[in-house]
Amino acid sequence: MAGCGSKGEATSPSSASSGTMMIGASVSLTGVLAREGGLTQEGYKLCQDKVNAGGGVDIGGTKTKIDIQYQDDTSKPDVAAQLVDQFNDKGVKLILSSYGSANTEAQAAVIERNGQVMADSAGSDDKIFQKGYTRTFAVLSPATVYAASMISAISELATPKPKTVVFLSADDGFSKTVTEGGMKAAKDQGYTVLPPQYFPNGTSDVSSALTKVKGEHPDVIIGSVHLVEGVAIVKQAQELGVTPLGFGETVAPPTPDFTKTLGAQAENVLGSSQWTTATVGQDAYFGSAKDYAADIQATYGHVADYHNAEASAACLALVLAAQKAGSTQPDQVRNALAALDTESFFGRIKFNSVGQNVYKPMSVIQIQHGKSMTVWPKDAAQAQMIWPATTQ
Amino acid sequence: MTSFLQATAYGLLQGGLLALVAVGFSLVWGVMNVINVAQGAFVVLGAYVGWEMHEWIGLDPFLGMFVSAAALFVLGYAVQRFLINLVVNGPIFITLLLTFGLDLLLVQGMNIVFSADYRGIRTSYASNSLTLGSIRVPVGRLLAFALAVAVTLLLVAFVNRTRTGISIMATGMDRGAARLMGIRARHVYALTYAIAAALAGMAGAMIGTVGTFNPSAAGGFTLMSFVVAVLGGLGNMYGALVGGLVIGLVEAWSGQYLPGTWVYALAFLVLIVVLVVRPTGLVGRAYYTGRQDV
Repeated sequence: MAGCGSKGEATSPSSASSGTMMIGASVSLTGVLAREGGLTQEGYKLCQDKVNAGGGVDIGGTKTKIDIQYQDDTSKPDVAAQLVDQFNDKGVKLILSSYGSANTEAQAAVIERNGQVMADSAGSDDKIFQKGYTRTFAVLSPATVYAASMISAISELATPKPKTVVFLSADDGFSKTVTEGGMKAAKDQGYTVLPPQYFPNGTSDVSSALTKVKGEHPDVIIGSVHLVEGVAIVKQAQELGVTPLGFGETVAPPTPDFTKTLGAQAENVLGSSQWTTATVGQDAYFGSAKDYAADIQATYGHVADYHNAEASAACLALVLAAQKAGSTQPDQVRNALAALDTESFFGRIKFNSVGQNVYKPMSVIQIQHGKSMTVWPKDAAQAQMIWPATTQ
Repeated sequence: MTSFLQATAYGLLQGGLLALVAVGFSLVWGVMNVINVAQGAFVVLGAYVGWEMHEWIGLDPFLGMFVSAAALFVLGYAVQRFLINLVVNGPIFITLLLTFGLDLLLVQGMNIVFSADYRGIRTSYASNSLTLGSIRVPVGRLLAFALAVAVTLLLVAFVNRTRTGISIMATGMDRGAARLMGIRARHVYALTYAIAAALAGMAGAMIGTVGTFNPSAAGGFTLMSFVVAVLGGLGNMYGALVGGLVIGLVEAWSGQYLPGTWVYALAFLVLIVVLVVRPTGLVGRAYYTGRQDV
């Protein structure tokens, strides 16, 4: 059972004097987020392997290996927060986040209270960063740009340009923020935006939402969703004869399971991605995005997923901050993170005053011939966007 | 009007799928007074068997479901015969805890063996639809619905017209009297649990055909089975079908005319109202509450 609170009085084994930089990671290895949690852990593990393969990170002139300790938070925010407390009780002050905004938000409050520092790999809801926290730093782009990036891509690349768009959204905080950001972007870019339709997070039945919007004949349907809801939208749209010019979805399409589950039905669906193999930039540990993808393939035997990449990037940020600080003490690492500005395989990592990485663009991918191809931004495009993109 | 008819049609089909998921749960609870928390895990395991059959030898899921049923039948029989029967005379909470533990074991086992990857059984026809006027009827869900109805009718015929079925019902009503009549209760219980597991396996193959699954989906199927079984009522083989159809329609109609996030709240509200008005469920039989467990 997870601990009830932190004493906050233990000595810090995160000190480099022991020759090892201890990092705590609460990951969702079981429960509803187990799939994404597993990918996150792979990203953290690859980071550890890469850093330690070179003898470790240079901290104040001493090569120091990193040691990431894992605990399963069972996909529950309260457990994820308690595990952060447990790490604190053991003196582990440097933390890598769990998967998802709900877990990360719960952890961020504890991190602040305990004086720990957290590199956030997968909590992108803007609300996490509107609470005055100063010790949580997210390497990934904010939730508000997930759907907005697809709107921008369609505006820029689609011919004929669609006129109406509707958002189908899960009702969790992250998805709602995505929808709000996307609707604002769509209105700003001149679209007629139909009322959004919400459904319970994690549901595999979105037929009611689709039936509601069918009569409105929207040109574009954007899903602010996770994998299960994303697959359901595409499957049930075909069942119900809902045929827009194109579908766009957050989170789901870049995940390999999306294509494996849907097969031909996945063709031409747009998705927003935190990272693709076309991402520009490189660093000393991972090299380029293509190098990273090759390492994931070689190590884990599957195509690199952006959940892998954002996890490795969070770990990288923590390592680079410790290197820059010349210390593993949390206050010094925190200050180094706040000042960090570096290129990496994940793109630019730099944080604004509230700890968000607003300097890295999102990418838009499209499933083409069963593969996830970057189609936007144009300078990183691997293929032209197919439009109309209906899968029917 | 078209939206209403479309929602109604889809709700009925979805309800059939729910009924198929819940019918075994209802059977076990009704006959043995065991709340089988592992029901959802059996459904997901059935989906994996159907998926493996499809991936390995290209077996269509509507044939693969029989393999799922056979595999789950054997597993279910063994679980009841050598595990649950050991504590079946204890309070209901003991069997509840046991099946809860079994559920954890199965879910974690599937996580290890199959990983947490999401999967679906891809067919060329399941997402296609028949068009009736302006209404679309998905083929995969229609077949699953037909299967749910057929399974229910066969189950009714089985328990009413066969010696084994009558033994099951008799044991459910009064275990002591059944034993005195020469019925081997342990075997009958194991058979009942095996049938329930087999039906869960078939449901899993259907779930895999029209949707997606991974081990974490098990909890949702158990919860829905509980709601459907209680709503429909125990002691009547039609209970799960009635409960499933009602839940399917409530979800479809509430999703159509109310904010989409209210659907679960409405489904549980209907359950509460029905239980207040009719504690035995919509078609449940009160005599089961006076069962004799000896």
